[in-house]
Amino acid sequence: MWKTSDSWGAHVEEAVKQMLPPCQVKCPINEDIQRTNVLISLLPEDIESAKEGIIQIGDYLYEKNPFFNICGYICGLCELECNYKSKGGAIRRRLLKRFLSDYYTDYLNEKEELTISRERENVAIIGGGPGGLMCAYVLSRRGYRTTIFEAGNRLGGALWLIPEYRLPRDVLNTTLENLVRIAGIDVRYGTKLGEGRLTLQRLKNDGYKAVFIAKGTPYPRELTFNGSKVEGQDLSGVMYGLDFLYEVSHGNIEPDYFKDKRVVVIGGGNVAFDAARTARRLGGTVTIVALENEDKSTRDGLPADEDEIRGAWEEGIRTVCSRGVRKVIGEGGKFKKIDCPRCTAVFDEEGRFNPQFDCTDCTDVEGDILIITIGQAPDRALLQKEGLLNEQGRLAVDQFTLQSLQNPSVFIGGDVRRIGFMVEAMKEGIEAAESIHRYLRGLAMRWGRKRDYEPFDLPDRATYKTPTDVVWIPPEKRLHFQLFERGLTLKEAIEEAKRCATCGPCISCKACISIGFEKSLYAVEVDEERCSGCGACVYACNYDAARLVDRKGKLVSETDTFRCKSCGMCVAACPSEARTLVDDSTYDRIEKMYASLS
Amino acid sequence: MSDFEPKVVCFSCKFSWGYLADEDALASQIKNWVPIICSGKVDAKHVVEAFKHGADGVLILGCPEGDCHYQDGNLEARKRIYLLQKTLQSYGIEPARVSIQLSRDPEGTTIPDYIRKMSESIKKLGPVRRTASPVK
Repeated sequence: MWKTSDSWGAHVEEAVKQMLPPCQVKCPINEDIQRTNVLISLLPEDIESAKEGIIQIGDYLYEKNPFFNICGYICGLCELECNYKSKGGAIRRRLLKRFLSDYYTDYLNEKEELTISRERENVAIIGGGPGGLMCAYVLSRRGYRTTIFEAGNRLGGALWLIPEYRLPRDVLNTTLENLVRIAGIDVRYGTKLGEGRLTLQRLKNDGYKAVFIAKGTPYPRELTFNGSKVEGQDLSGVMYGLDFLYEVSHGNIEPDYFKDKRVVVIGGGNVAFDAARTARRLGGTVTIVALENEDKSTRDGLPADEDEIRGAWEEGIRTVCSRGVRKVIGEGGKFKKIDCPRCTAVFDEEGRFNPQFDCTDCTDVEGDILIITIGQAPDRALLQKEGLLNEQGRLAVDQFTLQSLQNPSVFIGGDVRRIGFMVEAMKEGIEAAESIHRYLRGLAMRWGRKRDYEPFDLPDRATYKTPTDVVWIPPEKRLHFQLFERGLTLKEAIEEAKRCATCGPCISCKACISIGFEKSLYAVEVDEERCSGCGACVYACNYDAARLVDRKGKLVSETDTFRCKSCGMCVAACPSEARTLVDDSTYDRIEKMYASLS
Repeated sequence: MSDFEPKVVCFSCKFSWGYLADEDALASQIKNWVPIICSGKVDAKHVVEAFKHGADGVLILGCPEGDCHYQDGNLEARKRIYLLQKTLQSYGIEPARVSIQLSRDPEGTTIPDYIRKMSESIKKLGPVRRTASPVK
């Protein structure tokens, strides 16, 4: 079994400007997807022997992303940009990570704590969601003493609102508990900024030199129509999706809560679909009413993920598209129906949310329960009280450094700043940690931070393979809170990882070096005297790295070092021995072998 | 002729062959073996030189079709071997002396078997008859 090394030569180099595989460009934290795909593809086929490799790969991913196993259940953003999409289907990276998670999550319980002496300043982090935890993790690794002030009695924030059939509770719990243990993060539960004596001033007085506010969006957004609040949201039977999912996550809802009930869910995003599918699992007959249309490829299409929409459809949830809500109508104080005009446009020409309706085309949707899931909002009163809003009432924060414009020792990020995916909140946590480090060390806040990544194209290939099937439990057997998606087997994971065309440059991967296949990334040198400009190398290269150029009237070949994979195919193809791989010892080894023949 | 033991040179792709084994341990069982990053890196010259230096056969082990880490190196290698067989034949070197296998064995335990099998067929051919010019 190979052993990965992360020594200097095998370390992935992060550059300010770089070509990367498109999946890694898409991933907000630029996870080393290619490198770890290659390593998965080289795992032994027997699971007992493979475990050692899985832990090595997991440990590597964990360094940059201690949530990678959770990403394996709920993320998959990278797959949206995979070059393989045009050749039969993206590499199933999410499931590959889930496969690692199946073995790595248990190992987290025995993973050693980081041995870092924390001599640097105290930093307070408000909110224990993915943004806050990520910031604490990065700072803790850099020697800061970090304390998370969590309002509730558990870490994880909005991750708990993801239904259990998508993200098992034990995976989430194990990850969170071990993260604070491994990284040595101090957590204070039941402490809410703005409540009691906990204020920014108090934190400062207590010796916290910087604060990261990642409080998320604890409040549901109310239903409005043409700018004013829709009446009837206080009727019995009306609730907000956020509160509903929160109660479900705490186990406060009975299994048959919605039995024989008609549930109407308003909203077209992932949270609305989560609420709808959860209500369905609690026995309800569910209808989703969304402003957006069915065609996800258009600007006004449903924002929920394809898998969510498909899952809901399979589970017998009806989706009524292109409908707004003008009135919530009750009878005897109880919810009865909603009045839904047709929505003709969701966004305006500038791309702003500005729904337009045709009130001559209205329809009623009747039900017993109404769940409003049209977005969340931050705790504005608190932000106002702490002086973090500007005169227009907006969060006054530098979009790049996440530093408050009102209070330089305060940094703000995650959903509280802009609602996004888990990994986007994590990214803000990483950026805030970098900013806090620079602020406390007196370094330039912006210098050398902006990354400019460009995606690589798919290399030329003779054959393309179809993706591994994703297996979901059939809908009729799925209406419970157990995971409905089957994970990959080891064999499937190896096959799926092998499909990865490894589009990116070697410098951002180095999987082959880390396991000793290669000693370094050899450069290809062209002897221009010998080169006849025949172009055999151009034909042989699958990466568009070998090209012909005009040198004072003579056609010669050259190599684009960023695209070159040092595979040596151009060297083998060159009829005039003009191409050589510098410092590659393979050729010496061949010579030595020849010498032993005679 | 009975004590003729053919010398078989073997190039094997690191991405499909023996990557889980300890290379030194495997090397002690396989004579004249060079693990290489891609079968497509094996130059026609490497094969010809092997014969020049006294090899009786050359075996190339590449990845299964569609599995090449460098996209199509294995297919390139197979094409090259096919052409080489034709060319070498005109120099009196039988096609059976150059062989390519596109398959996979991470433990590498079957590499000696492939070599043994090839040696047996070469034994029947005897040593390479080296000629100065192409055989008509």
